[in-house]
Amino acid sequence: MIMHELSESQSLNQIKLLRKYLKLKILEDNIRFRDHDSERNHVYNLISRSIMHGESHSALIIGPRGCGKTTLINSVLQQISKEADIVNDALIIKLNGLIHQDDKIALKSITAQMQLENAVGDRVFGTFAENLSFLLSCLTSGADRKCKSMVFVLEEFDMFCHSGRTQTLLYNLFDITHSKQAPMCVLGITNRIDVMEMLEKRVKSRFSHRQIFLFPNENQEGVEKSPLSKCKEIFVQYLSMPLNLAKRNVKEISKKRKGRKSIVNVEEKMDVDTIDDNQYAIPEEVFTRCKVDSSQFQNLEYGFIESWNAHVESLVEDQKVIDALEKFSYYTVNEQLFKDVLFQIVSKLSLSKSYIDVNDISSSIDHTVSPEHRVKLLQSLSILELSLVIAMMHGMEIFDGQPMNFEMVLHRYTKFSNTNSSTQTVPRPVILKAFEHLQELEIIMPVKNTDSIYNTDTTTSRVQKEYKLYTLAAPLEDIKEAMKGFKALPTEINHWFNNSVF
Amino acid sequence: MEEMYNKLPCREDQLNNLLDLLGESDEPLPASLFVSGGMATGKSLCLTTVLQYLNYKHVFIDCIECYSTKILYESILAGLSDDYMDVKCDSLWELVNNLNTLSNQQNNYEAIVLVLDRAERLRNIDQNIISTLLRLREFCNLNICSIFVTHLIYDNFYFKIGVREPIKLYFPNYNKEELFKIIFLSQKSFVRYLTTNNDFGCDIKEELERPELFANFLNAFLSVFYRPCRDLIELQHMARVNFVKYCEPIIKNEIKPNDLSKLWRHIAPILKTSLELLYLRINTTKTPTQAQSLGKENSEEAQPQRYNFDNILKEELLSTKTFAQSFELPYYAKYLLIAAYLASYNPPKEDKRLFMKNHGKQRKKLQHVRAKAKISEKLNTQLGPKVFTLDRLLAIFYAILEERIGLTSNLLAQIATLVELRLIAGSKEIDLDTSKYKCIIGYDFISAVAQTVGFNVRKYLYDFM
Repeated sequence: MIMHELSESQSLNQIKLLRKYLKLKILEDNIRFRDHDSERNHVYNLISRSIMHGESHSALIIGPRGCGKTTLINSVLQQISKEADIVNDALIIKLNGLIHQDDKIALKSITAQMQLENAVGDRVFGTFAENLSFLLSCLTSGADRKCKSMVFVLEEFDMFCHSGRTQTLLYNLFDITHSKQAPMCVLGITNRIDVMEMLEKRVKSRFSHRQIFLFPNENQEGVEKSPLSKCKEIFVQYLSMPLNLAKRNVKEISKKRKGRKSIVNVEEKMDVDTIDDNQYAIPEEVFTRCKVDSSQFQNLEYGFIESWNAHVESLVEDQKVIDALEKFSYYTVNEQLFKDVLFQIVSKLSLSKSYIDVNDISSSIDHTVSPEHRVKLLQSLSILELSLVIAMMHGMEIFDGQPMNFEMVLHRYTKFSNTNSSTQTVPRPVILKAFEHLQELEIIMPVKNTDSIYNTDTTTSRVQKEYKLYTLAAPLEDIKEAMKGFKALPTEINHWFNNSVF
Repeated sequence: MEEMYNKLPCREDQLNNLLDLLGESDEPLPASLFVSGGMATGKSLCLTTVLQYLNYKHVFIDCIECYSTKILYESILAGLSDDYMDVKCDSLWELVNNLNTLSNQQNNYEAIVLVLDRAERLRNIDQNIISTLLRLREFCNLNICSIFVTHLIYDNFYFKIGVREPIKLYFPNYNKEELFKIIFLSQKSFVRYLTTNNDFGCDIKEELERPELFANFLNAFLSVFYRPCRDLIELQHMARVNFVKYCEPIIKNEIKPNDLSKLWRHIAPILKTSLELLYLRINTTKTPTQAQSLGKENSEEAQPQRYNFDNILKEELLSTKTFAQSFELPYYAKYLLIAAYLASYNPPKEDKRLFMKNHGKQRKKLQHVRAKAKISEKLNTQLGPKVFTLDRLLAIFYAILEERIGLTSNLLAQIATLVELRLIAGSKEIDLDTSKYKCIIGYDFISAVAQTVGFNVRKYLYDFM
């Protein structure tokens, strides 16, 4: 399929560069943001107003996982950094609820991000508020000009609303947005829609109640977009290569070979392309952040990129791919997951396989949306262990989901193995070990509270292991599925499985 | 490359997957991988081999060693940097800070892999740790990938508010053919194990080294052991033990090495008995000197006492029966133990009927007959032992003991001994009137004990009436 006759090492090089570029684009590009223009403008206005005009704001950005909340902030900040002198005018402080688990650590991190460790030194503060206002005053007095405006980005905002403890950090931050001490913009990012209920009363009253919702399936004004078409769009967006990467290269050549008509044609064609070409490129910031030299990608050949893009376009039209994408969009709208799928597809590219295989796409989508690891786990069990699972399943069926202990399971199993003379008898310790193995794999789970009719006088912790009660943690459907695909399953086991009362 | 596939047979798919995902050193790594699969399926081995082959900077952390988060963080940092040996790190924030300084020192996009073995342990420490490690890449500016290795599946990791999902890989267990192939690879070491313990002629040695012999043995072995066990490590161990026995008649020139049916008849009962020892790791193979000395046991009394004792201990553990006899309990203690077992597994209201000579005729009512059709799941022997008081124990003890003996302090001391031996579980209560006991031995054990005093336990168990 390779149109240009390239030598082996050359085409290997091309493939490698392409793979690297695509991987970078899929994994590292946290700046490019699509759709949700009104929401983006809203955030943009908030931040730019507080930076340029010194206003104070607070807002919450709420949306499900992987819908691009952080990317939204990143893209806005990047845009503003182009328009204003962020380094001198503003301080951007990013906190994450996962890392900054308590207020003390958060404050330490704020100090570090303000680069005020020296100013604080060994000073001891009475309260959190004192500390924070000292930091702010340092900013005003230390700099020769008016106070810098600050942008606080609180990711995993819900984690800052620690239940049980006071929300000192949030209280102080929101309080400052009202007190005109310093211009400040507090942006909370969370995926919990009920986050407002978690706020203390005093925090809530200081919050502006500006909530920005990001829903992945929301339709933009008037534009009807199905999840599938969106999926397709992302697919093309991430897998297409920018043509202008190779352009500089071509131009250099064309300068050398002036006068040849064919090159002029190419150049003319290029100018047409440039208009919508940039949308596929990785922003330069990403390269600098990842310390990757972007110039290496100029070695990509124009023709190669062109044929690659045509390949991607043709893939989207393929019915099989459309089916797979549709399946994916039914399962989830999480863009992060889709990126992972794309990453897996791209990572399969190699010299021997220089184009994306349609089957790879559908298989990796299948793998992501329904991994069925539990079925595989059940299929990895030994026959004995599987028999115990079946025995337990039958027992629970008969007794309406009552938990069972080892003795009951053993009783059921021996009943079965006695009726089938062909099965070898296994000694009790081995069965017990198999049972413990099931427990270790968490296919069966111990019952925590013993409110069942069986255990009236004994607590679970003091019962011998044979009499501890367990429930089956694998759903019936998974067991059925596992039985279907089990290799070399003895017929009597299958028969036993299908006839429940034995 | 080729070497790697040879080292890890039957894992080609998984290796290819890993190699694809980890890519090349200058390419970005995926944010996180989740590798799951049963025990002894080669998860850790595959990962280390691949990482060594790719020559990435990597840290391998066994989470079972990290009982506190501090140790986890510090071992991550110590593994990543050479001169950071005495770094202190208490919180995730400091970890991220340290990683960020590391990234500032770096001037290229180096691939770093963090492997967390037995990741299921992390669930018990702190929910946040896994969520953070899953997206560590976002927090520090490194080309870092965290790989979780666990025998549980991803569904068992439950996150309340969701996380950044990892890419999941699954390592299925080896099937029979694959197990055969893998164990067969180590045929040489099996034979060497055999030959170092014995010395014999060259022709026998040659016979033993024939791969067909080993293949035959392995076929027979797996036909018995594959059903209850698919754990490669355990099977390998058991195969080693049994191969010695398989070759014994060949060494003694009793059976010709190509007489397969005779060899099978020889090994089949041995395999069956050693099936009982699966997972127990009791080494029953005796060195020839030991075997000889055991043979002479009757004639020669002067035995080296110590290793005779070792052997006895092993033999005793072989079955519950010999184990029960090994306690060598006194006569009354045996009866006390039986009484304790009966008290634990019989409902108190049936005591009168079970143990009294004139308990009056039971009228057979329809209701009673129906009650007799007991549901097996509600039998006492299946529900576990119930507690009983000292009074009831003594009452049953006197009921089942034919002779009349006085209640002496010696007798009561026997109870304390039984508690001490962990045959009966007793409460710490000193007051004899309120103390409660529970018999914690199984039916096999008690029937072995009862046999020695000629007592039929079954007769007195309510469940079997």
